[in-house]
Amino acid sequence: MRYGFFPGCAYKTAAGYRESVEALNRALAIQLVEIPDWNCCGATAVFSINSSVALVLSGRLLALADLHGFDEIITVCNACYTTLRKAIHMMEHHPELITEINKHLKTETLQLKRLLPVRHYLDVLANDIPEMRWRKVKQSKSDSDLRVAAYYGCQLTRPWKDQGQPERPDVLEQFLERLGVTVIEHSAKTLCCGASHMIPYAKDCAPLVSRIIREVRKKNGNIIATICPMCQFNLDAGQGRLNIPGTPIAFFTQIVGLALGIDSKDLGIDKLLVPMYKISDNKE
Amino acid sequence: MDDRRLQLKFYETHDGKDVLKCIQCGTCSGSCPLSDKMDYAPRELFALIRDGEMEAVLRSNTQWYCVSCYQCMVRCPQEIPVTDLMYILKQMAIEQGISPKTAKMPDLYMTFYREVLKKGRLTEAMLMIRYGMKHPTDTLSNAFLAVKLLKRRRLEIIPQSIKEPKRISYLKSADSERTETK
Repeated sequence: MRYGFFPGCAYKTAAGYRESVEALNRALAIQLVEIPDWNCCGATAVFSINSSVALVLSGRLLALADLHGFDEIITVCNACYTTLRKAIHMMEHHPELITEINKHLKTETLQLKRLLPVRHYLDVLANDIPEMRWRKVKQSKSDSDLRVAAYYGCQLTRPWKDQGQPERPDVLEQFLERLGVTVIEHSAKTLCCGASHMIPYAKDCAPLVSRIIREVRKKNGNIIATICPMCQFNLDAGQGRLNIPGTPIAFFTQIVGLALGIDSKDLGIDKLLVPMYKISDNKE
Repeated sequence: MDDRRLQLKFYETHDGKDVLKCIQCGTCSGSCPLSDKMDYAPRELFALIRDGEMEAVLRSNTQWYCVSCYQCMVRCPQEIPVTDLMYILKQMAIEQGISPKTAKMPDLYMTFYREVLKKGRLTEAMLMIRYGMKHPTDTLSNAFLAVKLLKRRRLEIIPQSIKEPKRISYLKSADSERTETK
């Protein structure tokens, strides 16, 4: 299986996402090759303005991935995932759109010939890596006081129910538990973080962040594992406006890295805004 | 404003006619994280579309407050693709040159859109700067945050782009085309 990695625009500056993904790729010998000259997926913004442009953006990326011989496109961002997935869904139901897209791509000598599957890196880690390899890498029994709340946000489980239950998924919890991580059950795992509305409407979105953090603390969680740069950013930076005890917001890859015994320096954990040493048992 | 013409236009889009299936149960409005900020919650908006009040619909802030969380869509008992219909309304408002009372989200999306059209990739700092020139109060409060991000080497100052942005000038012709939302 050749994974074509689509990092997306937010990956590079996301708090230690790149560091931790790269550390896991090294430890588990995962070949994640960046799709050469990838472009932005357009996210919710471009689809809100003009579908034609949004479709050409996704079309270009799919054509590039196919051209370079990849079998699947792997994303690390919910917005990238759903945007590509949405474009593919539209193309499957209206094949004439592909002809339209190709008229544009032709000027760059690109052609969209087939629609590659799009998957999230979580799916790769949870389902593609043989148990043996995990066992080989995991050095010791992890001794940690982390009680992790899995947080999926909106755009991985919805609207296609790709991970089973769209409101109460458990793929991340099951995966983390297999690695010996303590996870907690809570009811905020697929609530909205505010997405890009956080920029103009920070005040309106503050209750959304607060609702998630309070629920996690009430259920005795002391750290949140995210799978999307926007979710991580909104929950991490959004706490600055709230008067509640700080709860660190990590990427799931950082938590996996710690569970494997990888040094926190190699996981970019110092880049979190609410620092990890703030883990405390202070309940609301 | 020709309400009737706009209503037909909406019905002609791929999923537009689905609003006729709406049973006004309000599951969408009750599931929406920001419905309390909307001029009309989704259920009311659908009633207005069916009544042919298209100008009121396109001028409302409702579709612009939609965060695309798809909660309404997976819960709708009539399987109406609510979120997709919000996208159609946003595109129609832009096409008709109708701005809602609050122009914040259209401005933010348009800034994002222009950056990607030009460079093929988005640099978040550029988005903040360009949007901030139009809405300084929204971004000034983030100056403190920017310093914190800079300290953690999390601010990308060099604008990102694909290798030769000229190669994607065809995006501009796609821009003038507009596929009626499918």
